Amino acid sequence: MNEGANVQTFFGIPFNIGNDVPGLIAAAIVFFLMFFLSRRIEMKPTGKQNVIEWIIDFTNSIIKSTMPGRDGQKFGLLIFTLFSFIFVSNQLGLMLQITVNNVTYVKSPTANVMTTMTLAFMVLLLAHFLGVKKFGFRGYFKNTYLSPIPFLLPISVLEEFTNFLTLALRLYGNIYSGEVLLKLIYKFSKVYGIASFVPAVPLEIIWQGFSVFIGSIQAYVFVTLTMVYISQKVEKE
Amino acid sequence: MSAEFLLGAASGIYWGDTIFYLVLFLVLVALIKHFAWGPITSMMEKRAEKIASDIDNAEESRAKAEKLESQRQAALKDSHVEASQIIDRAKTNGEQQKSKIIDGAHQEVTALKENAKQDIARERQDALESVKDDVAELSLSIASKVIVKNLKLEDQKALIDSYIEGLGKQNEVK
Repeated sequence: MNEGANVQTFFGIPFNIGNDVPGLIAAAIVFFLMFFLSRRIEMKPTGKQNVIEWIIDFTNSIIKSTMPGRDGQKFGLLIFTLFSFIFVSNQLGLMLQITVNNVTYVKSPTANVMTTMTLAFMVLLLAHFLGVKKFGFRGYFKNTYLSPIPFLLPISVLEEFTNFLTLALRLYGNIYSGEVLLKLIYKFSKVYGIASFVPAVPLEIIWQGFSVFIGSIQAYVFVTLTMVYISQKVEKE
Repeated sequence: MSAEFLLGAASGIYWGDTIFYLVLFLVLVALIKHFAWGPITSMMEKRAEKIASDIDNAEESRAKAEKLESQRQAALKDSHVEASQIIDRAKTNGEQQKSKIIDGAHQEVTALKENAKQDIARERQDALESVKDDVAELSLSIASKVIVKNLKLEDQKALIDSYIEGLGKQNEVK
């Protein structure tokens, strides 16, 4: 709940360093984890290779559930990276939070609305782009906004905005509220000394466990909805 | 982006973060593709192909083995029949050869006997004829000697007899 932000301006563009550093850390963790898991690839999988293949099978099954067939296979890398990045981001703030000068440099990057909106914006832009690429602009417009009934056009347009907002805010809200409650319990433990510290410890542990669960679910939900939105744009209804 | 302006208005919009996260994510995708995703998925595809081809190969070799097995069975059955046929043929061949050899031997023996008889008869005839000629010649020479020297029959009879006897013996040896 550190509202402080370390804002630096490069080329006239304001960067919130307090939000960028955790993203970099999460990306680094994802990369080194995957790099570590994918060493010594063999025909007969053993140990680490089984782990990464299990994750790939899992993300591929998410794609298959919304887009069966060969069309979905090209999204495998995107969904795999998106899932692992969001998953690691969600868990990062539960384990470690480092605050320097009222600015938190290590936390969940997904607890910031700019991060989740960037990710949601990216995947929806991709979905619209693929829709136009596949059907042409006229076909895309007809498929997205005029079907099944043309007079629902205003609602269809509105839906695109709500899709974007719900996708971004669902992830942000879940992770941010989880971090807020973690910090609240931490503050509560200090209020009455030992009398509040003792009940606060199991409470914090329970909430951390629950947040791990929430973070996993939200990562899964985010990539599933990503695939749903993409498949809506590239498949005729 | 308008939604971001609305939400971000409360604490200021650091829209550099959007660029940062976009670039970060794209770089992450590229790195993971190069180091993890590419090798892993190509290996998984290779494995899937290998498994499919292994299944096909197993099916093929099983069919081949079954075919060989049935061929072997048929060959075994055939070989039993063939063996008994060969034995039968050998038996009949042996019988035939045996009777042929015996017949041949019989024929040869009779032919030899016949030849020997004929030879003996001819020899005898020849011997008799030559003896006749010799006797006549001797008789003539003896007669001429008797006439020339005036010999007594009694004196010379033993000599003539022994002479004739020697000739007969000579013929018999022939």
